[in-house]
Amino acid sequence: MGRFEIGSYEMSMEKLNKKSLNRSPRIARFRAGWAIYRQNLLGKIGLTLLVIFALMALCSFIPPLIDPMYQPMTGVDPDIAKSTGPSLRHWLGTDFMGRDILSQLLAGARVAFMVGVSAAFMSIVIGTTIGMIAGYMGKFVDTLLMRLADMIMVMPTLLVVLILSALFGQLNIWIIVLIIALFRWPGVSRVIRAQTLSLKQRPFIEAAKVAGASHMRIIFRHIMPNVLPLAFLYMTFRVTSAIIIEAALAFLGFGDPSTVSWGMMLQWVWKTGHMFKAPYWLLPPGICISLITLSFYMLGRAMDEVLDPRLRKEAETG
Amino acid sequence: MVENNNKPILQLKDISKTYSSKTSFWGGGGKEIVALNHISLEIFKGEIFGLIGESGSGKTTAGRLIVKLEKPSAGKIFLNGNEITGLRGKVLKDFRLKVQMIFQDPYQSLNPQLSIYDTVSEPLHIHKIENVQARKYLVIQALKSAGLTPPDDFLHRYPHQLSGGQRQRVAIARAMILKPKFVIADEPTSMLDASISAQIFNILLEMREKLDTTFLFISHSLAAARYLCDRIAVIYRGNLVEIGPGEAVIQKPKHPYTQALLDALPKFGHRYEVRRYDTLLKVERDASQVEGCPFFGRCKVAHQKKCIRERPHLVESDGSHLVACFYA
Repeated sequence: MGRFEIGSYEMSMEKLNKKSLNRSPRIARFRAGWAIYRQNLLGKIGLTLLVIFALMALCSFIPPLIDPMYQPMTGVDPDIAKSTGPSLRHWLGTDFMGRDILSQLLAGARVAFMVGVSAAFMSIVIGTTIGMIAGYMGKFVDTLLMRLADMIMVMPTLLVVLILSALFGQLNIWIIVLIIALFRWPGVSRVIRAQTLSLKQRPFIEAAKVAGASHMRIIFRHIMPNVLPLAFLYMTFRVTSAIIIEAALAFLGFGDPSTVSWGMMLQWVWKTGHMFKAPYWLLPPGICISLITLSFYMLGRAMDEVLDPRLRKEAETG
Repeated sequence: MVENNNKPILQLKDISKTYSSKTSFWGGGGKEIVALNHISLEIFKGEIFGLIGESGSGKTTAGRLIVKLEKPSAGKIFLNGNEITGLRGKVLKDFRLKVQMIFQDPYQSLNPQLSIYDTVSEPLHIHKIENVQARKYLVIQALKSAGLTPPDDFLHRYPHQLSGGQRQRVAIARAMILKPKFVIADEPTSMLDASISAQIFNILLEMREKLDTTFLFISHSLAAARYLCDRIAVIYRGNLVEIGPGEAVIQKPKHPYTQALLDALPKFGHRYEVRRYDTLLKVERDASQVEGCPFFGRCKVAHQKKCIRERPHLVESDGSHLVACFYA
């Protein structure tokens, strides 16, 4: 039966493997997946944008080295005390107290990556573990974990973080990351659970059982490698939501006041009343938030297509 | 042929397995599906015991019950005289050392993410046998005796790089590396070419010689069973209908169902369809109300009154040859 279910993805893998015998299936799969990914326009655009944002994040260390006035948070241009438009000295202009917008934007990219990837990674780790355990153990454990997931899933993350920060004052950026991670795992765990349910019926799991493998061994040695690609796919979608939540929090004034994120920049524009006066200040962080979430989304969509042959166009599957 | 007067290694006593639609994934409108109906049999040390039946006859279920992948609804299973039905923990792990299974579909029974070495050495890891060096040696020996030569070439390959026959050899090596006392081979060759099947059978026969393993060979093919098995049991819709020495069952089948199975084998050199026994009805009778013989609906020999009312039991008809039919 299994042979007929195997999609073209696997077939292209086999073509590849004739060239590269004795390669781990992960590497072979990666190369085959990459070949499909490259066909995808969305994926190419998304990846290009992400590379640009990554470069921005890397470059965020450069401006403060050139001149201390380019420090995104603390550096103030001694000659400027109000928001000015783009100039040679400040390519994107300055904010209300003379800080450089470009260096803030670069620092914001770093924060976006930090928040997005770490929150997504944590929620994936939690979600995958819980999903695998729920799917594999079944029965009582499954019910318990999935009802917990349902409860968390219906809670509005933003509201909870707002209440928490109202209770405890300003939250550290890592606390925010942690909260996002703790509230964003249920979706992942549902998908991983479904995948685990189908995997646990496969004979190789039964073969492991007959060999005497413990539940832990079956979950982490046999099921996990098979659900990891899916987990990573979901990570890209989680990155998007984490960035948006952080930006919304910062814009509402509940962000970490010691970090410069794009949401924070928007809040400064809003608070100082420059919303409709300084497009050079308003637009860059706004566009960046939109583009980075869009690019992670496009990355995810393209990866989705790599993992699920049914999403591919006929011509590409041949 | 193995002498039958030694002690049985495995005993099934009155084993039943029913799937009710609530807990099973077969669905159905609230009715129970009987996979096995009061099966009793004994398998003796060193023999290859064939369990033959058509799809859905419960033969695979029997195998799965023995390796404890499923629990019987009723009845008891004994290995070497010890009951295995309720084993847990360490005792269960020791039981896993003794009983292994070779699965039907080699495309599904190997984890695609693990290399051949990882797959075959896994039982050694689980049971903490030997150190790394010795394990490697054992894995190479197991691959060699499963007919994968040179074994070094295969150690670091992955299942998708092997053919179906090679995969099944890997599965055999995995099952045999613990030197189990008892192995269940669940249609090990149904996914393979005929020529490869013969090689796999020879490997199983060799293993028996070398390791003194007892086999339960589950198959739908009488031809395969004839080649391999010392004794054969025929199962029909969860009921054992005939048990006997391999040659006797093939040459002198007594139950009309066994005869029908033999008729179904393709024969060469005949222009017409030749039926030696001709026991199968062309049109099935409605047997939903029948409390008697499970084969009544398809049986040409059946006597309307007796076969409807009474269920035939396995009775000795010719020495160690048992048949469940009034007309055998």
